[in-house]
Amino acid sequence: MKDLKKSKGYAVVRDWLATRGYKPFAYQEEAWRHICNGESGLVNAPTGTGKTFSVFLGAVIQFINLHPKTYQSKAKNGLQLIWITPLRALAKDIGRAMEEVLFELDMRWQVGIRNGDTSTADRAKQKRQMPEVLIITPESLHLLLTQKGYADLFRTLKIIAADEWHELVGSKRGVQVELALSRIVGCRAAAPSREDVADAQPIPGGKSKKKNASSKSEDSEMATPPLGGREALSIWGISATIGNLEQAKDVLLAPLKLLKVESPQSGPSQPGHSPLGGQEGFPPEGRGEVGTIVRAKLHKQLEILSVLPDEIEKYPWAGHLGIKLAAKILPILEESRTTLIFINTRGMSELWYQTLLTIAPHLAGALALHHGSIEKELRTWVEEALHEGKLKAVVCTASLDLGVDFRPVETVIQVGSPKGVARFLQRAGRSGHSPEAISRIYFLPTHSLELIEAAALKSAIGEQFIESREPLLLCYDVLVQYLCTLACSDGFIPSVIFEEVKATNCFAELTEDEWNEMLYFITSGGNALQQYDEYKKVEVEAGVYRINSRRIAMRHRLHIGTIVSDNMMKVKFLGGGYVGVIEESFISRLEPGDAFTLAGRHVELVTIKEMTAFVKKSTKKNALIPSWMGGRLPLSASLGKVLRQTVDDAGAVRGESSNGKRQTPGKMPVELEVLQPLFDLQRRLSHLPKEAELLIEQIETRDGFHLFVYPFEGRLVHEAMAALLAYRISRITPITFSIAMNDYGFELLSDQPIPVDDSNVYELFSPANLIEDIQRSVNATEMAKRKFRDIAVIGGLIFQGFPGEYKKARHLQASAGLLFNVFNEYDAGNVLIRQAYQEVFDQQMEEARLREMLQRVQKSRIVLTYPERLTPFCFPIKVDSLRENLTSEKLADRVRRMQSELGRL
Amino acid sequence: MQAPLRHQLQGQTLWLSAQRSLFWEEEKALVVSDLHFGKTGHFRKAGIAVPQGVYKEDLQRLVNLLHYFGPSQLIVVGDFFHSHANVELDWFRRWRNEFSSLAITLVKGNHDILKDDWYRAAAIEVVHPTLVAKPFLFAHDRCDTAPGLYSFCGHIHPGVSIHGLGKQSLRFPCFYFGPDHCILPAFSKFTGAVSMDKGQADAIYAIVENELIKL
Repeated sequence: MKDLKKSKGYAVVRDWLATRGYKPFAYQEEAWRHICNGESGLVNAPTGTGKTFSVFLGAVIQFINLHPKTYQSKAKNGLQLIWITPLRALAKDIGRAMEEVLFELDMRWQVGIRNGDTSTADRAKQKRQMPEVLIITPESLHLLLTQKGYADLFRTLKIIAADEWHELVGSKRGVQVELALSRIVGCRAAAPSREDVADAQPIPGGKSKKKNASSKSEDSEMATPPLGGREALSIWGISATIGNLEQAKDVLLAPLKLLKVESPQSGPSQPGHSPLGGQEGFPPEGRGEVGTIVRAKLHKQLEILSVLPDEIEKYPWAGHLGIKLAAKILPILEESRTTLIFINTRGMSELWYQTLLTIAPHLAGALALHHGSIEKELRTWVEEALHEGKLKAVVCTASLDLGVDFRPVETVIQVGSPKGVARFLQRAGRSGHSPEAISRIYFLPTHSLELIEAAALKSAIGEQFIESREPLLLCYDVLVQYLCTLACSDGFIPSVIFEEVKATNCFAELTEDEWNEMLYFITSGGNALQQYDEYKKVEVEAGVYRINSRRIAMRHRLHIGTIVSDNMMKVKFLGGGYVGVIEESFISRLEPGDAFTLAGRHVELVTIKEMTAFVKKSTKKNALIPSWMGGRLPLSASLGKVLRQTVDDAGAVRGESSNGKRQTPGKMPVELEVLQPLFDLQRRLSHLPKEAELLIEQIETRDGFHLFVYPFEGRLVHEAMAALLAYRISRITPITFSIAMNDYGFELLSDQPIPVDDSNVYELFSPANLIEDIQRSVNATEMAKRKFRDIAVIGGLIFQGFPGEYKKARHLQASAGLLFNVFNEYDAGNVLIRQAYQEVFDQQMEEARLREMLQRVQKSRIVLTYPERLTPFCFPIKVDSLRENLTSEKLADRVRRMQSELGRL
Repeated sequence: MQAPLRHQLQGQTLWLSAQRSLFWEEEKALVVSDLHFGKTGHFRKAGIAVPQGVYKEDLQRLVNLLHYFGPSQLIVVGDFFHSHANVELDWFRRWRNEFSSLAITLVKGNHDILKDDWYRAAAIEVVHPTLVAKPFLFAHDRCDTAPGLYSFCGHIHPGVSIHGLGKQSLRFPCFYFGPDHCILPAFSKFTGAVSMDKGQADAIYAIVENELIKL
């Protein structure tokens, strides 16, 4: 291969960078070299270091090298680069940055954006002539596959880039990307690149006579193959640092094996002929060998500071403390040019915004609010103002986690636990953008126990303890949706698509039986009565699976873009004007006249019509702050481990630490020192667990009998652990539990004494029969029901209606809860129901992590205490309202008992 | 099957059953509401794969009730059929032929949009908006009732929440008896339930699996 640095493309790009006073980073050059060699890989770089350019300029260099003389005049080249981004909001900024480069290089490339906001006119234009660069969300990429003749679009394609891949890899949208890539690569494997055809286009300026492949390319250099293979299709991921980068890359690149199997031998393949399980052409060493990881070795200095309360509250109440500390951040805001204040939930962000304006009225106009439920125009305005440095501070949620950098941001404040090291780092990275600047992040606890987390975070970052994002496996709901997607356009031939789907990481283990079940489900609607059925969706004609009904196809297209969420309702002013969206479950609890806060505005409900809540401005003082579900993120395993050590360290002051690294009081992290009064109370009432101990507290209150357990493993594992323990206890005696948990521990609450003592406690935490017991406890709780909501939407069972046609669609709507009950009772073997249970099992229960924890418990000392009153540790769990139930009583008996108990009160 | 519970009202004897029906002894009338027949078929025709078993069970339950009570008439308080005609309704028609001597009166509900001919062919007498059979009145929607007569309605799909110690909470479909009206549970199991205000009620019977429990 020719040296990258001697290539024309490199020279052009380097010179252009120089005019702006920049020099390429070493990692960018490395990525460019791989791209020009037609290789695939993953770029690992933090935001704010030119990661977009590491791939985009690679594509530009490659194009210039292929067309050194005509790169400035060649237009209508067909699609060259697909840029997948997880957030619509990012597309515009990225597109603008790319257009700027292309303009200054005087190239004729077009940049198009394709997402839910793209107008029909623009879509039609793109259909006639694809831009060279298409910036697209995973959903819109699937929508592209519902267009007839979509395969033609990909013939000229050189690179597919998945931006922010770390955000996608562990989600169903990541699975969507995997499937779309398998189709695109599959199309290319079946039909070679159209480069020769594309080259033969008339000179720009002439009429676009497409597909006229007679004349020869005017680039004489083409005789000697330049840097950049003409057949090459490469895939590039761009990712922040996560624990499993290598795996993240393999997942993304997995579909490439389709290309490698086909190209060397037979050329274009016929549908249905691909060999089964063919992995030839794939390095024998294994998947790790495919593609390269290009790492940006840029070390950014990071400073973590905690905002400490003056006095420690011994009974921590979630969310309560944070606001009390609001005044403490004012000096921090003063010191910085711009500050981002990250809040974990939208509800709390509204409250923070209001509070800051109340205590610091001078911030009015310089303080803004940004979260996912706020009207798009307002969000865009906030983003623009951030770029321009017009804002002093922005209160935001994860909505500002991603995306292009806001240079004026100097400081970040994290309110409440970020629940993970990677997310904390990402947020910290939003500050201090010039290379030598220090990223500064303040941690502000929402309850005093969270200060332990601050100490744990510091130590985890010091030890480079960063979580992995585990890719999802066998998501049948996404597959069902994808097959219907393909059936909407040209239809599909099962044998071809089966091979492609198998090439993805998600479905590598899909069996033929399961595949046939999918086909059966989309064609005959699962288990139906023999007669009296008119199920209609996908039809089979001469071996091709198609959706023929225009209405069903249209409904499916609308469906793809549906964001899985609670039923959201639009909120509008009576006189017109959009305020934002809000959960239906919140609105349904309000009466007309009730006031609430949304997007920083006090409004009062007037009426609800169809899916819109009409409001007017309110002057009422006591406005409700809406709560949004789903705002809670679980603590990661990595952070959990450090947390246990940190609590142990906290005992060190008294010389009790068990982990060997005895701390002298002077070296104790400041957060733990501050917490000593709380630890003292915990010690006095109950016990402060060491790393090799598991604390269990049993307390009786007016509410009933509580059992608190503190494994410090994170919310998800606790939920699983609690269900398992509740199930095992319920085998001893008929009993009903209400279950609550947070990241430190969990609670079983019952109206009768809980039979746990030192005679059976080790047995209850035994790893024996774990799988069977987990399965039974999953069935006994409603966890699967909650999982089913997403699955039902993705799998096409819940239809949210055509825009503006809410009423008409109502007779086709049923709630996820009702559907779950109906399926569970009448079609329990259904693939989507099975998936709901499987997801709980795989994701929620995290069997491996649970087993590890139980084994740890077996080796450690279980400390049972019977405190007379609530302890500092248990208080935040007790006040938590998210609860799960598990019972071994007969339902009717339970109702009678509940009634008689209430009668006694 | 639990034996039906007796509920005396306005000097009349009503038998409530956990199978979501009410039998009016004096008139030998079985009263049901919100059957939503054909709903699964309607979903399936639109490509939404809801299992049909739920419809089959609803039909079977109605047969069992007819055998058990042996009524001379069936009063449906609205939403007998979910939407337009489909083949699932053909199945109902075949079923109807086997009970040809049974008089069926439908108090039209908002979902009952079939053509008049269809009801005629199925030998269903349709009334709208109310059916008066003293001392009672039947109307799908409570809004259509008039003062003076005790009325039976459907439409809402009533449910009741029960709370207990230890933060326990459960919700069931129910019969709701107010001072001047009763709201019947939805007969179809392919329906949800809306929680009723217990404070206003004279009596509530929760349907807990196969049992009725008076609250």
